[in-house]
Amino acid sequence: MTAETTNQVVINSTFWAATLIFLIAYAVIVSERVHKTIVALIGAGLMLILKILEQHEAFHIEEFGVDWNVIFLLISMMVIINIMRPTGFFEYIAIKSAKLAKGEPLRIMIIFSVVTAVLSAFLDNVTTVLLIAPVTLLIADALEVDPVPFLITEVLASNIGGTATLIGDPPNIMIASKARLSFLDFIIHLTPVVILIMIVYLFVLKLIFGKRLKTRQELKERILTMNETEAIRDPVLLKKSLFVLMLVIVGFILHGIFHYEPATVALCGAAFLLLISNTRNPHHYLAEVEWPTIFFFIGLFIIIGGVVKVGLIKWLSLKVLELTQGNLFATSMLVMWFSAFASAFVDNIPYVATMNPLIIDMAHQLWPELEAVKLLHKPELMPVWWSLALGACLGGNGTAIGASANVIVVGMAERSGRKITFLKFMLYGMPIMILTVIVSTLYVWLRYYVF
Amino acid sequence: MRVKDIMEPLIDYLSPDNTLKEAVNKMRVSRRSEKEIGVKGMIVLDQDKKLVGIVSIKDILRTMIPAYMSYTELGEFTWDGMLENMAKRVADKKVNEFMTKNVITVHEEDPLMECADVIVRHNLQRLPVVDKSKNVVGMVYVRDLYYAIVKTLLDTEA
Repeated sequence: MTAETTNQVVINSTFWAATLIFLIAYAVIVSERVHKTIVALIGAGLMLILKILEQHEAFHIEEFGVDWNVIFLLISMMVIINIMRPTGFFEYIAIKSAKLAKGEPLRIMIIFSVVTAVLSAFLDNVTTVLLIAPVTLLIADALEVDPVPFLITEVLASNIGGTATLIGDPPNIMIASKARLSFLDFIIHLTPVVILIMIVYLFVLKLIFGKRLKTRQELKERILTMNETEAIRDPVLLKKSLFVLMLVIVGFILHGIFHYEPATVALCGAAFLLLISNTRNPHHYLAEVEWPTIFFFIGLFIIIGGVVKVGLIKWLSLKVLELTQGNLFATSMLVMWFSAFASAFVDNIPYVATMNPLIIDMAHQLWPELEAVKLLHKPELMPVWWSLALGACLGGNGTAIGASANVIVVGMAERSGRKITFLKFMLYGMPIMILTVIVSTLYVWLRYYVF
Repeated sequence: MRVKDIMEPLIDYLSPDNTLKEAVNKMRVSRRSEKEIGVKGMIVLDQDKKLVGIVSIKDILRTMIPAYMSYTELGEFTWDGMLENMAKRVADKKVNEFMTKNVITVHEEDPLMECADVIVRHNLQRLPVVDKSKNVVGMVYVRDLYYAIVKTLLDTEA
């Protein structure tokens, strides 16, 4: 391929058809008039039936089709969590944490934030907050304090923690698969900055809430008399789950070295846990997989495949290059800040699904002589990937709709009679989002451009 | 026998705008029979006397339990005085917020077997009885059906 042909995008009726499907689908997803999974599947169906994308391409070609790596990694982790959930592990951890904090509200807030962040780094954010938030509401009732600051600070911590690892948040899973980045790559490049962000975050919490959270000694006694071991409903299954989870994490750490995909590790882990859980009927664990999310991914991948094939993404990447003049520091910063604000208001999953091929196309323009991993892992390109991950994950904190975990917590608070308005969430979330992205900006700048 | 032969007249009912506290009081003073005072459930009629819901003591109990406890099992971690606190907190909740809205009814001309089937299938204690124009004309309680059975068995023996 010569440089000239790579710079051309043929704009014909197929191009417009694909672009229209893409734009309308995204607009309807943002409007929330129709469930996003249905929209994604309709869009995918149109791409196929109009032959913009052949079914073979959608199902079997990596460049255009469904990213099965992402799909199977998500499904497998969901199965593991489904088996683990009813054991009472999360409730145990939460009650234990509250006791460790001796019922002191500020300490509870800080410990809960740390626990939520760590759990979210290895398990999905929604499950983590879905199980920690009810305990938080109970603890707040026991201490007779307003639960809202606790819930919001927890969900913000969950989104921060999820940024730390390859499996922490769906954008990272998608970026890892497309950019061929390993679990260790994320540990080396993102975990340090996330730890730094957490320290800053906790400091801010102490500053804001240090003097405001008060309770009485007799109320703390309610917490101290709770017996966390009563939360464990199936100790045997819990031990098995933790054992397998540990194996899976070790597998993730080693996957790059042994040249396995993360999905392989997770799939084996899920299968092994199903085997040793002694279940006669895996139906329940499999049915509980969040199939709407999985099919949302499948539909999206096909829609994106269509617009990649017709050249829309390449056209967009040329525009970005025009804007940044090929300056990669400017590109990183643009990607990070744009991603943060975009993810605060729209679902970061379709956003990252679009950005991944865009960045790859951009790299093709910049270094036409390179191919595959050599291109994807070009040292100058790496900070762009990390900026995308940091922006897309941390951006979720900006508003109440920025991340699925936020939506869950707001809904739960409302049903418990504690309404969190869009504005109230933003009052906490937006400053924290901006602060964490500033820390990320400094990190990326210092680590990849100064030294 | 048909439902209308065993049903009891409708005496008291709740309004959707009643508070939980008012509802509890109405149920406490409502006359069940000559001797007994206090009922364990009551239907809810709107301004036009249309049936809009039913409240049982279980609905009231459910209202006491905080919503977050339904997400996961937290019963072991509650404390002395929590239920009493919650009761005070929800005292002003409106009946239409906690009543069962899907009310199962029987028609006054329905045979008793249908009535028994519905009560057992849905695990009910009481059933509003309606006429052709869907107005509530009475109530059938589990005990009314049971008395009908007792009467059948013991009268034939005698």
